[in-house]
Amino acid sequence: MGKHQLGEFEEVVMLTVAILIDEAYGFAIIEEMEKRLNRSVSIGALQTVLKRLEKKDYLSSEMGESTAVRGGKRKRYYQLTAAGKEMLRETKDQRMGLWNALPDFQLKISQ
Amino acid sequence: MKPISPPRWALRFFRWFCDPDYVEDIEGDLIERFGKRSSDKKAAKWLFALDVLRLFRPGIIKSFEGSKSLNYYGMFKNYYKVGVRNILRNKTFSFLNVTGLSVGIASCILIMIYVKNELSYDAFNSKYDNTYRVLHYFGTEIFPVEERFPLSEHQVWGNAPVGVSLKDFYPEVDHVFQFTSANSWLVEYEDLQFQENDIVYADSGAFHVFDWKMYHGDPKNCLTEPNTVVLSTGLSRKIFGDENPVGKMLTMDSDYPMKVTGVYEIPPNAHLSFDAMVSMPTFQDSRPDAFDTWGYVDFYTYFTLNENADITVMSERIPEFISFSEVKGYTVSFEALADAYLNSEAGRQPGPVGNKNNIYLFISVALCILVIACINFMNLSTARAVERAKEVAIRKTIGSLRGALIAQFLVESFLLTTCAGLLAFGLVILGHPYLETLVGKALPMMWLTSLENVTLAVVALLVLSVITGSYPAFVLSNFKPIKVLKGSFRNSSEGIWLRKSLVVLQFSLSIVALVGTAVVYNQLSYLKSFDKGFDSEQILVIDYGWDSRVQQNINFIKSEFAKHNAVASVSASRATPGEFFPNAGTRIEAPNGEMIAKDPALFEIDNDFIETYDINVIAGRGFKRSFPKDSSSSLIINEACARYYGYNNAADAVGKKFSQWGREGQIIGVVKDFNYVSLHSDIEPLALRYSTGQTTSRLSLKLKSGDYSRTLAELEDIWIRVAPYRPFVTYFNNANFNDQYEADERFGTVFSVFSGLAIFVACLGLFGLTIYSASQRAKEIGVRKVLGASTQRIVALLSYDFIKLFALSLVVSIPISLFVMNHWLEDFAYRITVGWEVFALATAATLLVSLVTMSFKTVSVARTNPAEILKDE
Repeated sequence: MGKHQLGEFEEVVMLTVAILIDEAYGFAIIEEMEKRLNRSVSIGALQTVLKRLEKKDYLSSEMGESTAVRGGKRKRYYQLTAAGKEMLRETKDQRMGLWNALPDFQLKISQ
Repeated sequence: MKPISPPRWALRFFRWFCDPDYVEDIEGDLIERFGKRSSDKKAAKWLFALDVLRLFRPGIIKSFEGSKSLNYYGMFKNYYKVGVRNILRNKTFSFLNVTGLSVGIASCILIMIYVKNELSYDAFNSKYDNTYRVLHYFGTEIFPVEERFPLSEHQVWGNAPVGVSLKDFYPEVDHVFQFTSANSWLVEYEDLQFQENDIVYADSGAFHVFDWKMYHGDPKNCLTEPNTVVLSTGLSRKIFGDENPVGKMLTMDSDYPMKVTGVYEIPPNAHLSFDAMVSMPTFQDSRPDAFDTWGYVDFYTYFTLNENADITVMSERIPEFISFSEVKGYTVSFEALADAYLNSEAGRQPGPVGNKNNIYLFISVALCILVIACINFMNLSTARAVERAKEVAIRKTIGSLRGALIAQFLVESFLLTTCAGLLAFGLVILGHPYLETLVGKALPMMWLTSLENVTLAVVALLVLSVITGSYPAFVLSNFKPIKVLKGSFRNSSEGIWLRKSLVVLQFSLSIVALVGTAVVYNQLSYLKSFDKGFDSEQILVIDYGWDSRVQQNINFIKSEFAKHNAVASVSASRATPGEFFPNAGTRIEAPNGEMIAKDPALFEIDNDFIETYDINVIAGRGFKRSFPKDSSSSLIINEACARYYGYNNAADAVGKKFSQWGREGQIIGVVKDFNYVSLHSDIEPLALRYSTGQTTSRLSLKLKSGDYSRTLAELEDIWIRVAPYRPFVTYFNNANFNDQYEADERFGTVFSVFSGLAIFVACLGLFGLTIYSASQRAKEIGVRKVLGASTQRIVALLSYDFIKLFALSLVVSIPISLFVMNHWLEDFAYRITVGWEVFALATAATLLVSLVTMSFKTVSVARTNPAEILKDE
């Protein structure tokens, strides 16, 4: 106990990073999230979370190539670390545990 | 499509605040996103800026350490860290310092709040700088009108025609406002009945000259019609609640119906204030003669000038003005409204005035406390210098410059003062309501939180920390590293003389404060127990405020009260000692037979007054029922009045002719001087005139001792029977008389509280020094104990150093306190002399408190087992 719990946004960001595999850099993550989750994400919010997750060692990053679209700036690619993967798995198990304990009728919308 | 570029300013801003580690990739993201959106140019730019703004958050912003190019930053960080550690390590010393300083700062702020309020009197008026009042001067033999005469001989109270004359003569005068002295009126509305004491007649200039708030009614016209009255918010609320009273009819003094035409409010920081104002035309209808007689004195005159007027020019033209007005033996001068509350020496003020001396005393006490607290800080820091010596030496060896070390210690003192400042803020909030109760006034403090004052406070804290910190910083940074590190540096005697003289200064200040307190208290109890020359104990006064029905029945009412067995005697009079009285133009035959006209004070009394108040008749006789002519042709005077008219031997005045207010006859008696006004002033000439009842407003009942509450209830029953139309308003004469000293008493309390604080702070410092010296001498004490010294011996040893300093403080403080307190006492005509008892008391108290403070430490040190101390050797 006393262990850090992932926030919802943190969890979503980590999942997106995992989905993008080797292509997870700032803007790609935003686009992916906006596409899949249909919600708008600001660079500010995302970057803060990325820095926080990196500090907690759930993510690691390295600088990549530069492209013209980015005004010659390099990208920073993010990857899940082992601890990050472990954390995600744990979070999922917790959620599944909750879902499994839920009786079916509870979520049925009554007519 | 031509590629567009993101807004330059936003990008520049981003590069400025962003952490350099992230700047590249985030900028790339920003640009990429911008590129995606660029189909709509305007929106893209706007959204880009929004994105940048949203990045402005902790985590992305570079840390302040980023400005590492500044080498000082790191050093300051270190100073801060070392400073905090030091403060935390020496909890006792930090506590003593912070407590002392915060008490000092808080006292200063509280006194500032008070002083600011005193200085703010009347300043709310928009024509504050252009408002003046007339001071009247009725010539006397000592100071005839033609000569130069002191302002203290003037009075604010004067006549009516001067107002009209002012407007006629001086074109500079914009508006004139006149009102009469306050009277008590019975105010009735439906079945409500109130006796109100502060009601004046006022003319319509009121709201032209003063910016009093008007809640209902028209300020320009509310006082123009006869039989109209404007009420203060207080009285209006009392009678009408929250209703708008304009247009309602009040019955005043049972006979006069008056229409309410307005409700006003005079701010608490005005030098005058009334419960209600009755329109001047009302008075004009009943006494038209009063308005063109220069000798009829009952009016206060205020006026405003237009923008270009020059009061000095106007003052120079006063002689012209007087001859223009065609009056003799009378002149005026002008006084600015700004001087009315604190700088006026004139007599007969329309309201309570402030006291400049008291303000100075308060400010000095507050500064004393602050100085004492600062000295604590200096002493404790330098005393403990040895502990810091090694640190200083190492820093110097590594290469610190002296300036850097000074900066370090200043940072530390700034940390402490800031803590103290914050704590002081809390103390001010806590202490403010107490201060308000002590001074009996609402003291606004919202002005403290204005931006400029907060800035000022921060600057003041900085200055304070530099003052307190500069000397220790100077001493500490002066150590020679080689001496310290070789180990030859021990308890240095350097700076000890300074420390000692600072302690002397602290205790001198404390003793001065304490002597001040003792003097103030002695003086006040002296005033209260002073033999005033008349008996004011056990005299119950019934105030019926000139009610004509009571006046007509006065003899019957008196006899009814006299029947009660607890009543020794009953007297009716115009006023009782300690209350308002008029002056009367009186001609009395001088020793050379000439009739001299002067203006002695006047009491109107009946047969029983002298007996009731137990006033001594030293020549002739008092009024007697057996002399029917007393009511029309007799006058009694006091000794001062006899001298006033040239009789050094009082008895010689008896039988001389007089004429006064339409009566002529002979002086029948001279009474011994008695203090009918406060003991702030000397006994003035007084004439006692016989009153038939029509000019009385007070009934004085001398009571025998006994059960007052029962007697009072029974007397009330009698009153209800004989005068059912009038409320039973009573007070005891001595309580009323002592009310005059209320301001003095409040001053005494406030003064003693702050003196106490001064001593408290001084003792904090003393305690700190004792702890220090005890720890320095621990080994010595241990050895002494082993050799057989007793606990008392050691306590005495540790206290001895202080006692020497204390003796020196006494020498310093006695002349100072003598000078200051004699100056303060000058305000009283009857005063104590500051004798040795006061000093003995103050000395004993300070010494006792300090020794007890020290004993908290000395005794525990002296009782420590020497083995504990000596074991590490």
